[in-house]
Amino acid sequence: MSLVLTEHEAKKLLAKYGIPVTKESIAGNADEAYAIASQIGTLVAMKISSPDISHKSDVGGVELNISAGDAKATYDKIISRINNAVPDARIEGVLVQQMAPPGHEVIVGLKKDAQFGHALMFGLGGIFVEVYKDVSFRVAPIGIKEALDMISEIKGYPILKGLRKKMPADIDAIARVLVSVSEMAQKENIIELDINPLIAGEIQTIAVDARAMIEG
Amino acid sequence: MLSSIFEPASIAIVGASNNETKWGGRILKNILSGYKGAVYPVNPKELEVQGLTSYPSVLDIPDDVEMVIMAIPAQLVLQVVEECGKKGVKGLVVLTAGFSETGKSGGELEKRLVSLVRKYGMRMIGPNTLGIVNEPFNLNASVIGKLPRPGHISFITQSGTLGLAIADWTIDMGIGMCKIISTGNKADTDDVDLIKYLDNDSSTGVIAMYIEGITRGRLFLETARRIKKPIIAIKTGRSKRGQKAVFSHTGSIAGSDEIYSAAFKQAGILRVDTIDEVFDAALAFTCQPLPRGNNVAILSNGGGASIVASDECERLGLNIVDLTPETREKIKAVIPEFASSSNPVDTAGTVSFKIYTESIKALLRDPNVDALIVIYVHTQLSNAIPPAEAVVEIKLKCEKPVIACWMGGAGTEQGVDILKSGCLPNYSVPERAVKALAALVKHRDFLKTAKIDDAMPENLEG
Repeated sequence: MSLVLTEHEAKKLLAKYGIPVTKESIAGNADEAYAIASQIGTLVAMKISSPDISHKSDVGGVELNISAGDAKATYDKIISRINNAVPDARIEGVLVQQMAPPGHEVIVGLKKDAQFGHALMFGLGGIFVEVYKDVSFRVAPIGIKEALDMISEIKGYPILKGLRKKMPADIDAIARVLVSVSEMAQKENIIELDINPLIAGEIQTIAVDARAMIEG
Repeated sequence: MLSSIFEPASIAIVGASNNETKWGGRILKNILSGYKGAVYPVNPKELEVQGLTSYPSVLDIPDDVEMVIMAIPAQLVLQVVEECGKKGVKGLVVLTAGFSETGKSGGELEKRLVSLVRKYGMRMIGPNTLGIVNEPFNLNASVIGKLPRPGHISFITQSGTLGLAIADWTIDMGIGMCKIISTGNKADTDDVDLIKYLDNDSSTGVIAMYIEGITRGRLFLETARRIKKPIIAIKTGRSKRGQKAVFSHTGSIAGSDEIYSAAFKQAGILRVDTIDEVFDAALAFTCQPLPRGNNVAILSNGGGASIVASDECERLGLNIVDLTPETREKIKAVIPEFASSSNPVDTAGTVSFKIYTESIKALLRDPNVDALIVIYVHTQLSNAIPPAEAVVEIKLKCEKPVIACWMGGAGTEQGVDILKSGCLPNYSVPERAVKALAALVKHRDFLKTAKIDDAMPENLEG
């Protein structure tokens, strides 16, 4: 049996293995949304949380750059849109989370392969992964050296090093995330996992969105 | 013990036949053509097979039997295996098809076969194998036409007929081989067992593999990481993409082929794309040392060929290195004034024993140079023999790898024979020569980056 985790559940799993994740909580009503947004203290992203909806933005379930003052109204807006678009969906509430800090979008993934067990994937996020498939793979478990090799192997590596005076990413911090994901693979019986994006900045490296399927 | 299969003191062939167009007839004939040990045909319908006394069953053979080859219908296999167990046979080669490759009921039969084999502590190759060849032992227990030339390449092949065709091709090409193993369904002995065995086999220098799928992936990876002999593999089925029902990006991008490539890289297995490349690389490994680095010098009598070689070097990450002034002076002294003494060295069409000898000597002594590619382009006005004699003579005194490329076909044969007898790997076009050299460089890198001596991790079975 496979079990799909919600974004919030997937991130709790990442946090358990020391991977930095966005500050976030699930609001069960508009007042809670306001309280969480105020506590986070920066602009927030608000995303529908439902085990039945995995492509949240496709159904109008995501709003970005919301201030605490607008959180209540945004909560109601998202819920009513979902009620219209996916009337049967079980709704846990709305995930209120810190907006991603600036940085490069990268993807860290994991897949259980029938022949070799867990395999890790790394690449630049967004169009780089969708169109160019500029990614590298390793069979888990890996150590920090193999993680660094994985990162430097992709064609887009110079971008992460800070091309043309653009902000570089903290390569070591990305490598630590890869090692942590390698470590959790077997312990958590993961079938598939995407951290997409992992925002890789100069100072902060943080999982902004995640999806996971585990053996339940 | 797999040595009971590859180096048996005695062999029985169950299903032996007088008809050489049948497998049991062909294989008996092949065994008798070289094997020095005792051979016992088993066929209840014959009194004599190919001049030897035939026995009704394995149990009727008066002496010990170490290895049994089976070419009988699937429904008889279990009974014969049971008899082999009782007889004290150690190794089995089961050619019979009709097991897991045919579906569920064949799979069940195969499971029973394996448990019977293990119950008696025997080892088995197959079922559904085309047999094995062990050249140093003069053993051709296969349906391959004849024994290969002696050599140090051992070839593990999963595909039946393609593997057979490849094996026949290597024999035609005169490629020296040590062992050829058709794995069949790998029900008992699989790739993990075989690479371990070949690693410990002193007559095997290089392991070449044709792989369609691996059964114990992680164990295979960890075993290969601990093997320092070069392993060259062609893995087919590249076109299979990741699953279509997309849950994650990773799931959609990470097809089994990408994961194979990653695993091979981690294990230090050279993955090549074509059958030619497997044996081109293997040939280079069997007769040349590994280079210290990736700095290459090229010597040629034709500018075009050296440019092709240089381009391929660049594509594969080999560096066309700057020569020292001393090297260039020595080369200038023997080549025409209008020729090029910088790397790639071009003798501008002139060929002689002296030009090649002096140039090769200078290039191999250059501290910047890790490996040398010597190209000879044949023309009606030149002779392929003197440059071949030059390279063979120098090579005997040198620790750096030298790869030869004698181009032109007709007219080069005698030169090529000299190279072969001097254990110089020779290729018909520069790209093949460069790819073979790149394999040596890559393996040298693997020894530094991928290969380890650590103890095996636990719990990797299955």
